[in-house]
Amino acid sequence: MVTVVDFRMGNIRSVINACEYLGMPARASGDPEVVANSGMLVLPGVGSFRAAMRNLKGLGLAEALAEAVQVRRRPLLGICLGMQLLAEEGTEDGLTPGLGWVPGRVERFRFEDPGVKVPHVGFNTVRVVRPGALFAGLPEQMDFYFVHSYRLVCREEETVTGWADYHGRFVASVQRGNIAGTQFHPEKSQSNGLLVLRNFFASGGPDA
Amino acid sequence: MLKKRLIFTLLLQDGIFQLSRNFSLQAVGDIRWLWKHFAFHAIARSVDELVLLDVGRGSRASRDFARHVAAVAGGCFMPIAAGGGIRSRDDAFALLGAGADKLVVNTPLFTSPGLVEELAATFGSQCLVGSIDYRRGPAGTNVFYGNGAVSAGMPVEKAVRLAEGLGVGEIYLTSIDKDGTGQGYDFEVLRAVAGISSIPVIASGGVGDFDHFVAGMSLPNVNGAATANIFHFVGDGLREARDHLLAHGIELARWEAEFPAAPPRS
Repeated sequence: MVTVVDFRMGNIRSVINACEYLGMPARASGDPEVVANSGMLVLPGVGSFRAAMRNLKGLGLAEALAEAVQVRRRPLLGICLGMQLLAEEGTEDGLTPGLGWVPGRVERFRFEDPGVKVPHVGFNTVRVVRPGALFAGLPEQMDFYFVHSYRLVCREEETVTGWADYHGRFVASVQRGNIAGTQFHPEKSQSNGLLVLRNFFASGGPDA
Repeated sequence: MLKKRLIFTLLLQDGIFQLSRNFSLQAVGDIRWLWKHFAFHAIARSVDELVLLDVGRGSRASRDFARHVAAVAGGCFMPIAAGGGIRSRDDAFALLGAGADKLVVNTPLFTSPGLVEELAATFGSQCLVGSIDYRRGPAGTNVFYGNGAVSAGMPVEKAVRLAEGLGVGEIYLTSIDKDGTGQGYDFEVLRAVAGISSIPVIASGGVGDFDHFVAGMSLPNVNGAATANIFHFVGDGLREARDHLLAHGIELARWEAEFPAAPPRS
């Protein structure tokens, strides 16, 4: 059973659909006790870093996630904003501390050429540099669906498992022990995304 | 690099899918029929994006449309744009909650510009598609809304600028004259619009074969090529269209042909 963390910001239904398609029982929950005791977690997210952290803290979910992820070391997959929240801080509307489990900060895409559109929206190619849990057995280059204006700038090279390019490279995926994240939406990336999700579920271990 | 998009459009009226020719509708079947008889999952697995449009002519019950969006979205794993009949933020929330990633607005561009601005501010421009339908006239193009029934009193270029100004993130441009004819896109107008638009353009109306897709997508700033012609692309048709486009140098996303097998339903 995977718990999709519901902190009122994110396309929960699509993630649940993908889990169920893959035969992985899934539930959405915003209950800290359920989250803290979950065997496996997905943290989705669409919207503002600041609002997300406010919700996670206000709902007691930041603490619950810390219990599950840092103490019990259950596998966690952050998706899009969910991956960004793993960082030490976000820079949208001023500085906001993140969950702090991935070294780095979240910054807006900035381009000299005013013709380059932000957000970055559409399918783009990810170059996998370290397979880890998400890309085991998969090709080194794969296309996934992205929609984001901010990107993770990671201080620790080894934590980055995949890079993509949008007028310059940016972090597409990370993994640090039991914590993984994708800037792209695996639930919106056709077979490639389903294969990544399937890998994540397979990495869960017998208690998941 | 960012890829271009092959898009399939599903037209719905009271939960029944429609075939369209010059905006005249013909009922095809409901969602069960779609999945069963048109191997819809083959289509769903071959496109970069799905557009779901409520083209109902009577008063639309938006809750019902949201239910239909949810029924389609449940089996799809790619971005979905939904619209037709969005008249309030609540309508928008209902569609996004049903699994849509983007909203499509047509009539509000001309009758409720404040709503369009509100949607752009609430959900972001990347979440908002401005749908513009037009016919050719003696003096150029004429834009229509309300399922092609009401004249907006302006040519396409003016409608595109209007939509951009209201904050839509992309333009879905449909030639009513070419719609359902299989004769190909209205290339001349498409090229002109792509040339003046500062946001991406999706071409719609007229696709009959793969080369129409290639022609449309070869234009710079035309980021998406759409078809609603379900009969032309039954089964493997759209997967073959993808291969054809890639072979002709169009940058499309690639994904594994084999989808993980879904476990048997209990």
